[in-house]
Amino acid sequence: MTWMRILGSRVAAMFTRNRLEHRLDEEVRFHIELLTEENIERGMGPDDARYAALRTFGGVDRTKEAYREQRGLHLIETIFQDLRYGVRQLRLSPGFAAVAVVTLALGIGANIAIFTVVYDVLLKPLPFSHPEQLVGVFEANEQAGVAENGSSYQEFEEWRRVNLSFSEMAGDQEHELTLTGRGEPVSVRVADVTPEIFPLLDARPLLGRTLLPEDGKRGAAPVALLSEGLWRSRFAADPAVIGIAIDLDKRAFTVVGVMPDAFQYPLMMKTRQLWIPLLQDPLFGPWTTLPGGHWLRVVARLKPGIPLVQAQAEMDAINRRLAGKYRAGDPGWAIRIGPLKSEVVGKAGTTLLTMLGAVVLVLLIACANVANLLLARATSRAREFAVRVALGAGRFRIVRQLLTESVLLGLVGAAVGVFLAYGGAKALGRMLPPGLPRVHDLRIDGWMLGFALLLSMGASLLFGLAPALFAADSRRQSTIQESGRSGEGLGRLRIRRGLVAVEIALALVLLVGAGLFIRSFAALITVDPGFDARRILKAEVSLPRFQYSKQEQWVAFSTEVLERVQAQPGMQQSAIAVPLPLADGFVNLGFSIEKGSPLPAGRIRTADYVAVSPGYFQVLGIPLVRGRYFERQDTLSTPRVVVISEALARLYFPDRDPIGSRLVFGFPPDGNLAREIVGIVRDVRDAALSRPPGPMMYVPFAQAPFWGGCLIVKTAAGTDTVARAIRQIVHEVDRDLPVDNIEWMSAAVEATVATTRFRTWLIGVFGAMALALATAGVFGVISYSVSCRTHEFGIRIALGATRREILRLVMREGLCLTLAGAVAGIAAALALTRLISSLLYGVRATDPATFVALPLLLTGTALLAAYLPARRATRVDPIVSLRHE
Amino acid sequence: MTGDREDILRGTLDLLVLNTLDKLGPQHGYGIARRIEQVSGNLLQLNQGTLYPALLRLEQKGWIRSTWGTSGNNRRARFYTLTRAGKKQLAVESERWERMADLITRLLQSAEG
Repeated sequence: MTWMRILGSRVAAMFTRNRLEHRLDEEVRFHIELLTEENIERGMGPDDARYAALRTFGGVDRTKEAYREQRGLHLIETIFQDLRYGVRQLRLSPGFAAVAVVTLALGIGANIAIFTVVYDVLLKPLPFSHPEQLVGVFEANEQAGVAENGSSYQEFEEWRRVNLSFSEMAGDQEHELTLTGRGEPVSVRVADVTPEIFPLLDARPLLGRTLLPEDGKRGAAPVALLSEGLWRSRFAADPAVIGIAIDLDKRAFTVVGVMPDAFQYPLMMKTRQLWIPLLQDPLFGPWTTLPGGHWLRVVARLKPGIPLVQAQAEMDAINRRLAGKYRAGDPGWAIRIGPLKSEVVGKAGTTLLTMLGAVVLVLLIACANVANLLLARATSRAREFAVRVALGAGRFRIVRQLLTESVLLGLVGAAVGVFLAYGGAKALGRMLPPGLPRVHDLRIDGWMLGFALLLSMGASLLFGLAPALFAADSRRQSTIQESGRSGEGLGRLRIRRGLVAVEIALALVLLVGAGLFIRSFAALITVDPGFDARRILKAEVSLPRFQYSKQEQWVAFSTEVLERVQAQPGMQQSAIAVPLPLADGFVNLGFSIEKGSPLPAGRIRTADYVAVSPGYFQVLGIPLVRGRYFERQDTLSTPRVVVISEALARLYFPDRDPIGSRLVFGFPPDGNLAREIVGIVRDVRDAALSRPPGPMMYVPFAQAPFWGGCLIVKTAAGTDTVARAIRQIVHEVDRDLPVDNIEWMSAAVEATVATTRFRTWLIGVFGAMALALATAGVFGVISYSVSCRTHEFGIRIALGATRREILRLVMREGLCLTLAGAVAGIAAALALTRLISSLLYGVRATDPATFVALPLLLTGTALLAAYLPARRATRVDPIVSLRHE
Repeated sequence: MTGDREDILRGTLDLLVLNTLDKLGPQHGYGIARRIEQVSGNLLQLNQGTLYPALLRLEQKGWIRSTWGTSGNNRRARFYTLTRAGKKQLAVESERWERMADLITRLLQSAEG
C-alpha cells in the first residue's frame, strides 16, 4: 500500500533528517549552478546570471520547506517544535507561568481529591464478586412510617427455605464483647453472622477456614474468626493461632480462621475484629428463639439473571403467605429488597455530589482566570504572531501553537495538582467523619492520574481555545504596521469582561452555597439539646453475659460502682445511663397505654427508651416538669415506674394528666410489664441535634438493668484523674472488665455533627478560593481596561476632568461588570440551591439574608479590587499618554 | 493556492516527471526541469524548485529511484530512474489522462452541436 510506504519512508526520514537535508542542499546547488552557466552562455554577466538563475529556480527556502514537509512526519515534528517553543515562552515569563500554574493546580487538584472520594464511596462497586447481585432484605411499614427494619430470626429462616430468587441468604448483627486472655481485657467489635455469609460473598480466609453450616447450628461448639488487624495487633500474627481458645464475655471460643483486611463485611461497622456464629452471641443467640424481635439484618445474593423486580415480586408473595403467621394483628408490613450498595451509601450521596459540584465550579473559575491571563498575554505577543502570519504561517498553525502552550500549562498545572490532591486526599481521609464508609484506602493510582490528565486536557481546551483563536485572527495583522496602539484591544476587552462576569457569577453561586451551609451549621450547633453536657466525662462499661447472666447481678454491679464513684471527692454528681442522648444513639421501643384508647390498625406507639440511675436527670440538668424523679426506692422489688418526656405527654395524653396512668413496654423477657408514670421531664434531643425531640420514656436502671452502660461523671477535675479513678473503681469490683470510650460528653455530642462541620468547612474553603479567584479576575480586567484607555484618560484630564471623575469612571466600569455577574449569579444560585435543601438545617434554600449579604460581600471585594487600577488611572500624565500616540 | 489546484498540479507534475524519465532514461533534477520546459513550450510556468519535493514524493511512493552519479561535466549529481512500478503507474496515469481528454472533447463537441 502506497501510504504505508510513504509512512515508512517518513519515519525513516525522521532519523536520517540531516543526510536528506544535505542531499537537497547539494542538488539545489548543482541545479542553480547549471542554470547560472546556462545564463552565462546566453551572455549575461556572472552576477546577473546567478540572480536570473535564482529567480528561475524560485524561492530556495520555500523549496526547502516544501521538501521538509514532504520528507518528514511533519505533524509530530512541528508538535515538538511547538512544545519547545512553548516551554521557552513560559520560561521567559515566569511570573505569568507561576500564577497560571498555581491557579490551575488549585482547581485541578481540588477536583481530583474530591473525585477520588466520590469514586471510592459512591461509584466503586462493593469489594465482593458480582456486587450487583447483592441486595439487602428488610421489613418496612409505610403506614407506620418505618422505612427499614430488621427481620426476626424465624422469618429469616423461613425466607431462606422457601425463596426461589436467591442463591443464598444470610443474616448478621454486630455486638461489642469483652475479649480477655492474651492481654488486657478489651472491648472488641464482633460481627454475629450466619455461616452462609461466607459462601454468599465468596470470601476466602487468610488463614484457617471460614464458618461452616455446622457452626451455625444450635449447640455447636463456639468458634470464632479473627480479623487480620486483630491477629496482628493482639496475637502478633502468630501462624499457630488456629485452634487456640479465646474468651469473649468470659466464654471460650475456638479460633478457626483469620479473615483478611480486605474482607469488609458487615459494611456498616467501623471496624470488625471478630466474626462468630449468630447463635453463639450472648445476647442475640437467646433472642433467636424469642418471637417478635426484629433485629436481624439480612443480605442475599440474587441468582444470575434474576432481576431485582422479580425477586421483589416473589418476596411480596411470600410476605402475603406468611403475614398471618408472623405478624398477626400487626398489619401493614412488607418485605423490601434494595441493592446493598445504596444501603451503604445512604445519604452520603447528596453531600458528596454537592462537594463535587462546588469543586467543578472552582475549576471553571480557575480556567476563566487563566483564559484571562492568556488573553492579556496575547496582547503583548500580537506582533510576534503578526510576523509569523506574514512569514506564511497558516492560522491553524498559530492556533495550534497556542493550544500547545495551553496544554503545556494544563499538564504542569495538573502535575502540581496531583501532588496537592495526594496531600489533600490524605488530609481529607483523616478528617472525613466515620459516617462515610470505605474511605480508608484513598490513594493515588492509575485511574486518578488518568483522570488528572483528562481534566487538564479539558481545562486547557477551555481556557486556551478562546485566546488562541483570538490571537490568530488575521485581522490583527494590522498590528505589525502600527506601533502598539491600545485602541485595537477593544474586542479583547469585551471578551475578558465577559469572562470575569462569568467568574463572578460562578463565584457567587459557590459563595451563596457556602453561606447557606455556614448558617445551617451555626443553627445546628446552637440548638439547645435539652441537657447540659458541660464538664461531664463518660465511660462505657460492659459486663460479660456469661458471667453476669442475671438482672440482680447487673443491678448489684452498677449500684456498687456508682456508690464507689460517688464516694470519690469531686465525683459526687454521677449516674449510669443506657443509652446516652446523642453520644450513644437511641433505642426506640413500642409501647401501649393501659386502659388507653385503642389505636387504628397499623399504627404503633413508639418512644425512645432510656434506662437511668437516680440522679441522671440532675447530672445532665434535665428539669422536672411535674411529678418526681427516680429514687433509690425504685428497685426490682417495688412497683415499676416510668418517667416520660413532655413530648410523650403532649402526644398521647393531650387532655389529661399522665401521672398515674400506666404504660406497657419493655425488653424481653419483661416486655409486657405495666409501669406507672410518676414524672414528666423536659424534652431532650437524643437522636440528633437536627431532629426535634420526640416522645421518650425513662425507666430506673435498678428496675430494668442492662449488662453494661455508660457512667457519667460531672467533674471539675482533669481527664486523666477522673479516668484513672473510674478504671480503678471498676477493677476493684471486677478485675477483668474493660472501661472504654472515655471521653467528654461535649466532645461526643460534637462528634455527631462532624460530617456537617466537615462539609461546611470544605465548601467554605471552596467559596474562599472562588472569591479570591474572582477578585483577581476583576483586578486583572480592570487593569487591562485602564491600560487600554490611557489615551482616553489623557485626553479627559487634559480637557479638565478631575481625578475623582476618572476614578468614578473606572469604578463604574467595575461596578457594572460586577453587577452583571452578580445578577446572573443570584439567578443561578436561586435555581441551584434547591438541590442542597436536604442538607440544610434551620435555614431555607432561598434564605434572603444570605442572598443579600453575599452578593454585597462579593461586590465589595470586587470594587476594592477595581480601586487599585482606578487609582492608577487617575495618575495618568496627559502629556505622556498623548505623546505615546 | 486551494487544495484542488495543488492536487491537479501535483498530478500533472508527477506524470511529466515519469514521462520524462521514461523517454530520456536516468536524469538529474536540472535535466528533468529543462525537458519539461521544452516539452510544454513554456506553457507551464513552473518554479523549478517545486520539482524537488515532487521528486521526493515520487521516490517515497516507489515509482522512481535515485542514486549519486556523475554529470556531463564531471560533477556529482543525484540521478533519478524509473522503477518498474513507476512504469506501470505511468501507463495507468497516461490512460486516465487520455480518457479524460477524450471525454472533455466529446462534451465540448456536443455542447456546440
